[in-house]
Amino acid sequence: MNVGVAHSEVNPNTQVMNSWGIWLAYIILVRLLHVVLLSIPFFSILVVWTLTNVIHNLAMYVFLHTVKGTPFETPNQGKPRLLTHWEQMDYGLQFTSSCKFLSISPIVLYLLASFYTKYAAHFLINTASLLSVLLPKLPQFHGVRLFGINKY
Amino acid sequence: MATVAEQWVLVEMVQALYEAPAYHLILEGILILWIIRLLFSKTYKLQERSDLTVKEKEELIEEWQPEPLVPPISKDHPALNYNIVSGPPSHKIVVNGKQCVNFASFNFLGLLDNPRVKAAALASLKKYGVGTCGPRGFYGTFDVHLDLEDRLAKFMKTEEAIIYSYGFATIASAIPAYSKRGDIVFVDRAACFAIQKGLQASRSDIKLFKHNDMADLERLLKEQEMEDQKNPRKARVTRRFIVVEGLYMNTGTLCPLPELVKLKYKYKARIFLEESLSFGVLGEHGRGVTEHFGISIDDIDLISANMENSLASIGGFCCGRSFVIDHQRLSGQGYCFSASLPPLLAAAAIEALNIMEENPGIFLVLKEKCERIHKALQGISGLKVVGESLSPAFHLQLTDSTGSREKDVKLLQEIVNHCMDRSIALTQARYLEKEEKCLPPPRRRTGESRAHNQGGGPGCAALGRVLGPGGQPPRSTHTGLCVTAL
Repeated sequence: MNVGVAHSEVNPNTQVMNSWGIWLAYIILVRLLHVVLLSIPFFSILVVWTLTNVIHNLAMYVFLHTVKGTPFETPNQGKPRLLTHWEQMDYGLQFTSSCKFLSISPIVLYLLASFYTKYAAHFLINTASLLSVLLPKLPQFHGVRLFGINKY
Repeated sequence: MATVAEQWVLVEMVQALYEAPAYHLILEGILILWIIRLLFSKTYKLQERSDLTVKEKEELIEEWQPEPLVPPISKDHPALNYNIVSGPPSHKIVVNGKQCVNFASFNFLGLLDNPRVKAAALASLKKYGVGTCGPRGFYGTFDVHLDLEDRLAKFMKTEEAIIYSYGFATIASAIPAYSKRGDIVFVDRAACFAIQKGLQASRSDIKLFKHNDMADLERLLKEQEMEDQKNPRKARVTRRFIVVEGLYMNTGTLCPLPELVKLKYKYKARIFLEESLSFGVLGEHGRGVTEHFGISIDDIDLISANMENSLASIGGFCCGRSFVIDHQRLSGQGYCFSASLPPLLAAAAIEALNIMEENPGIFLVLKEKCERIHKALQGISGLKVVGESLSPAFHLQLTDSTGSREKDVKLLQEIVNHCMDRSIALTQARYLEKEEKCLPPPRRRTGESRAHNQGGGPGCAALGRVLGPGGQPPRSTHTGLCVTAL
């Protein structure tokens, strides 16, 4: 095995967002998404920015706040089976640096999107998708499942 | 051209900023303030509020008295008065220097001192040495292990088998490998201690049903079904298991396997069968309780047994479909994190399997002996036989209890000593009283050996004589008798 690779982490999902490699990959992916959308000829700049914002927020919502559990067996008898990835991060510690990074990046994207849509178009869609991604990150919403959706 | 267009767009953008609607700008302002707040907030843990003030905490700390390292115990605690066995335990055993008929060891097929088994073990000892010095995943897998797994799978007619190096750890590792937090396990009240520890390690919801009472089990399954209908999404992610033993160690009774299989298919639960006492005992070829009842082995999801009873080795195995057993190679804690079975014991087990396959007549002999000794012990005043007539391990229970467990235990100990004076070795069935979920009443355990063919007759008679008049006013406690066949 490779040297320095072994870890004794019970649930590696909790530490995956802390590596700077993930942060860089995340930024590159968002830019890649934006460039791909820009290269579609019949989308105007307004639509492209709104789409970037919406698709990014949708993907973030699905991967961080909808999918539960781990794709591997953990030795703690299934404790994180009902927790989303956001709730698993750092074992439930609030306001860690990766939390802050992941909270700030949709806001930054929103600010850019509203700048580029000239503050006139697509206000509701952008704001709604931003809220859908910001609200689950609040510590008051830790473990909350509204209307029993996604509980089990 | 491109830069001009860009600048033009930029100028327009900035102009748009000045003409932006107020609510939008206010929202953006709030968001920027939110970013600043995030950047400056400290990390903290979501805590459950503790309602104790500092003063109360100090008080509690002052009050605490450490327990003594060695608790005060009475002089006649069994751990202080033990019997010393010298020499190998076959159908005769030398206890405290005295040779006794061995009714205490679980040596069902009498293979403990079989010369073939001993020769195989010695040859393996010369070839491999004593231990394996490693778990199965780290240079601890020898060809004898793979051989034994293969032979066991072929013998039980399943796809695959997996070996553990300690019998207790077999079922205690198998259960938590499949059943996790949030899953439901229906288990018999008389389940042995190993099963209880496995269930405790699994953190699943345990539902106990009365011993061998299929109506009670069906009631529990029905209740679970109604709850599932109320919450189908939760039901889809919950796994259900039924854990039973073939021959129960604590009561010597058989589990009603045909009804269990029917319930399994009706309520969609999986059956884990623990066959430690019935492997090598029941069935025409010794394949256990499935062969005894004529049920296809594919109906049972996992069979787990220890090799310490019939196979005269150490360790345990689980067998079943490859899909099921393969999971334990990474999730079975006792498999991955313990050293593997010493190769000499694996070789002894293989030889024992050879013997079992070559003469299937020994199972009939064992059965006869069990029935004989059961009949012979029926009429003793004050003691009743607890267990089926075909069970080689059964218990002698006092018919009426004195009322207190210690007195019963003391009385039984007297009976055991009495028997020992007359060269019959019996033991009391011991329980960790504080740890058992459903503590059986104290009893004496007997192990009948196939070896008792000559000693069998006189042994039974001797036992009957000893226990008959030796019985004081009836009490109910158990002592276990293990019948081993030779």
